[in-house]
Amino acid sequence: MRQALHIFKKDVRHFRFEIAIAISVVVAFTIIEMRHALSVADPVTIRTGASTLVLFLLPLVWWTLIARVVHDEALAGNRQFWITRPYSWRSLLGAKVLFIFAFINLPMLVADMVILRAYGFSLGAELPGLLWSQVLLTIVYLLPIIALAAVTTGFVQLSFAILMPFVIVLIFAMFQPGVVLLRPVFFLGRFAGGIPVGYEWVKSYFAFIVITACASVILFWQYSRRGTTVARCLAAAGGILVVLGFTLISWNAAFKIQNWLSKEQVDLSSARVAPDSINEGLSRFFRQGEDSVGAEIPLQIMGLPPNMRVRVEKLSVDFQSPDGSVWKTDGYSLRNVGDADQRLIVRTGLSGGSYKKVKDGSLEVRGSLYLTLFGHRQTTGVPFGDRPVVVPRIGVCSARESVYRRGYFLICSSAFRSPAAVVTYHFIPSPADTAGQDWSSVQRQMNSYSPFPADLGLSPVSQDFKLSSNRVPADHGLVERMEPVAHIRLDFDITNLRPGNAYIPPPTNSH
Amino acid sequence: MTDILRTNDLSKRFRKTVVLNHLNMIVPEHSIYGLVGPNGAGKTTTIKILMNALRPTEGTTEIFGHDSRRLSPQDFMQIGYVSENQQMPEWMTVEYFMNYLKPFYPNWDVARAEELLRLFELPRDRKIRDLSRGMRMKAALASSLAYRPPLIVLDEPFTGLDPLVRDELIEGVLECADRATILISSHDLSEIESFASHIGYLDRGRLQFSEEMSSLTDRFREIEVTLTNPLPSAQSLPPAWLSTEQSETVLRFVDSHFQQERTMAEVYRLFGTVHQISVHPMPLRAIFIALAKARRKAA
Repeated sequence: MRQALHIFKKDVRHFRFEIAIAISVVVAFTIIEMRHALSVADPVTIRTGASTLVLFLLPLVWWTLIARVVHDEALAGNRQFWITRPYSWRSLLGAKVLFIFAFINLPMLVADMVILRAYGFSLGAELPGLLWSQVLLTIVYLLPIIALAAVTTGFVQLSFAILMPFVIVLIFAMFQPGVVLLRPVFFLGRFAGGIPVGYEWVKSYFAFIVITACASVILFWQYSRRGTTVARCLAAAGGILVVLGFTLISWNAAFKIQNWLSKEQVDLSSARVAPDSINEGLSRFFRQGEDSVGAEIPLQIMGLPPNMRVRVEKLSVDFQSPDGSVWKTDGYSLRNVGDADQRLIVRTGLSGGSYKKVKDGSLEVRGSLYLTLFGHRQTTGVPFGDRPVVVPRIGVCSARESVYRRGYFLICSSAFRSPAAVVTYHFIPSPADTAGQDWSSVQRQMNSYSPFPADLGLSPVSQDFKLSSNRVPADHGLVERMEPVAHIRLDFDITNLRPGNAYIPPPTNSH
Repeated sequence: MTDILRTNDLSKRFRKTVVLNHLNMIVPEHSIYGLVGPNGAGKTTTIKILMNALRPTEGTTEIFGHDSRRLSPQDFMQIGYVSENQQMPEWMTVEYFMNYLKPFYPNWDVARAEELLRLFELPRDRKIRDLSRGMRMKAALASSLAYRPPLIVLDEPFTGLDPLVRDELIEGVLECADRATILISSHDLSEIESFASHIGYLDRGRLQFSEEMSSLTDRFREIEVTLTNPLPSAQSLPPAWLSTEQSETVLRFVDSHFQQERTMAEVYRLFGTVHQISVHPMPLRAIFIALAKARRKAA
C-alpha cells in the first residue's frame, strides 16, 4: 500500500497538467448540465454546441490521461528502467487504479451528484443509479483503454490499437448495416443516440461481460508477468468475441432472457392472436414497386388481462402455399386501427414471383407476435409552477406555461436511464373551461427494458417532454406511467387466405 | 565461491534468428565478470533474460539461485542494473529520481547516495532528459549503487563515453568491487581488461570460453621463433598455435595453451635447433583478435 501511494504521488506530480485539464472538462460538463437543469423554462432548446463538444472531449481527455499514466510504467517492451527495480506488481496496478479512480471516476461521480441535485433528485434514492453508472463508465470508457495501454508501448501504438477496431467495425458495418455494434464503439453515449432499445441491452451486456473479463485477465497477466504477446492475443480475441456476440446473439435469445427476467406472473392462458373479425374486409394484397406485392392483414390480440396496454416488439410471418412452398418475412409495419393497441394491421410483403404462384390458390399465414404487456398504471398530478414533483419510477416532473405563452409543457427528467415504461402526459383543463377537454399524449419512444438502474451515457439525466400549443388554460398536468409486466410470444395461424380475392389492382392512368 | 548468476542451456530466438544457442555461463560470487564479444553476439540478450526483461526460448537462468522468471521485488533490491539503452524517467530531475527510488530500497544509504552524486558531479536540479549521455549513465549508476547491491549488472555501460567519464564510472563501480559481484558486458576489451577478474567470450550466441582473467592471460603468449634452417613448407603445426606467420627462418604464432616447458619442448621437437625463441605476454585485445581470426579461418 505504501509503495502504491508512493507511485500514485509520483504520477500526480508528473501528470498535474493533464489532471487539471481533465477536471476542467468535468467542471465544464457539470456547469453546462446544471445550466440546462436550471433553464427548463423552454425545453425546446435541449442541447447546445458546447454541451456536445464537452461530451466528446470527456472521453478524449480521459483516454489521454489513462494512456499517459499507464505508459509511465509501460508494460510492453524490455528497456523500461522500472522493470529491474523492486516494484511490486500489485502496488503498481493499485497505484494506476487509484489514479484513474481519483481523477476520472470520482470527479464524474461528484459531477453526477451535483447535476442530480440541480434537477431536484434525491441522491439517496438515486444511489443505485449513481453507482451503476460508474460501473458502466468504467467498463465501456475506461477498461478497454487501460487494457490497450497495458499492451502497447506508447501513444502511437495505442492510437493504432484504438483505431483498428473502428476500421474493422466500419468495414463490418458496410456488410451488416443493422448491427448495433456501432453504438458501443461510438461512445455509446446518449448524445450519440446509442442507448440500446428494447431487448438490445442483452447484447450490450454480453459485450460488457466480455470486455470486463478480457480486460481483467489482460491487466492481471500484464502486471504480474508482462506477457505482452499473450495479452495482445487476448485483446484481439476479446474484440472478436464482442463482434461475434453482437452478430450471433439472436433477437430470440435476447427475448428469452428478457422473458426469463420477467418475475411477474400474468395469466395469459386465454391470450391469442386471430384475424380481426371486425376489420376482416381490410385484408388486401396490392402491388408495391416493380416486383413486390404488399400484404395487409388485420389482426386482433384477444384474451389479455384487463387494464393492460400492449406493444408489439417484433413480428415474423411465414406464407405457405398449398404445394408446401414457404416464404419467410421479418419485415413488417404496424398500423393500429383502434381500441388502443389491441387491433392492428400487419403490413408485410411477398416477391412478385411468389405472389404469382399463389394468387389463384389459398395461402396459409403462420406468424409470431412478440409483445410487451404494460400494466400497474400509476398517475401523479403535477401542478403548474417552479417546484418539480417527484414521480415514482420516472424521476422529477414539472409543468409550466411556455415562456412565450404559446401553450404549456410537461417535462420529466429521469436519472441515468429513460424509464422502461409507457408514459402518458395529460394536460387537465381548468374547471372554468367549459370545453373541459383532456389533451393527452402517449410517449412513443422506444426504451430499454434493461433491469439495471443505469444506461450507458455521460449525461446523468435524460428528459422527455410534451408541449401543448392549446391556448385553453390548463389547471395542472398528469403523468401516467405503465410499466412492463410481461414479455410474451403469441403464435397465429390464418388459413385459406385468398390473395386473388383481396388483390387491389394499381390505379390506371386516365387521360 | 558460490554462483550468483547462472545460465543453463539458454537459447533465444527472435523469429528465425538464433541469438543465443545453448549458453551455459556461471558468474562466481565476488567476481568481476567481463562478458565480451562482438556486436550482435548476444550479450545484451543474455543480460535481459537474466534480469527477466526478456523470456528465453529454451533453458533457464538463475540469480541468487532463483529462477529469473520469478524474480521478486526482494531480489531486485539486491541488484543494481545499468544498461546503455535503458529508458529513464526523462521528466524527473536527478534529485527527484534519487528520492523517488529511495523508498523502494530498505538498504538505501543516504550518505552513499550523496557521495555518489558528488563523485559523479551530477547536477541535482537538472531533468534527466537534459543530461548528456555520460551524465545519464552516471545518474543511472548512482541510483543503482546507492543501496550497495551485492550484485551489479552493467550492460555496455561505457559505450560512447569519453575516457574521463568512463574512468569516473569505473571508479564508482570498483568502489563496490570488494563487496559485490559485478557482471559487465562490453564489446571493447580494453575497457574491462584492467579490472575484470573473470572473462567470458560470447560469439554468435555461444560462449567460446569462460575463465579467470589470470588463467587466460597466462595461457596465451605470442611467440617468435628464429630458426637456424629454413622452415619446411609442409610442416604441420599444433592446433593450439594460432595466427601463425612465417618467413624463411622466422615463425610467429600465438600459443593458446602456453606452458613454458611444454611449449619449448614442442618447438625443439618440431624444428630441432633454433637460433632464438622470444615469448611475449599478450594484452586481452590481442588474445581476442587471435581467437577471432582462428575462428574465421576454421569457418
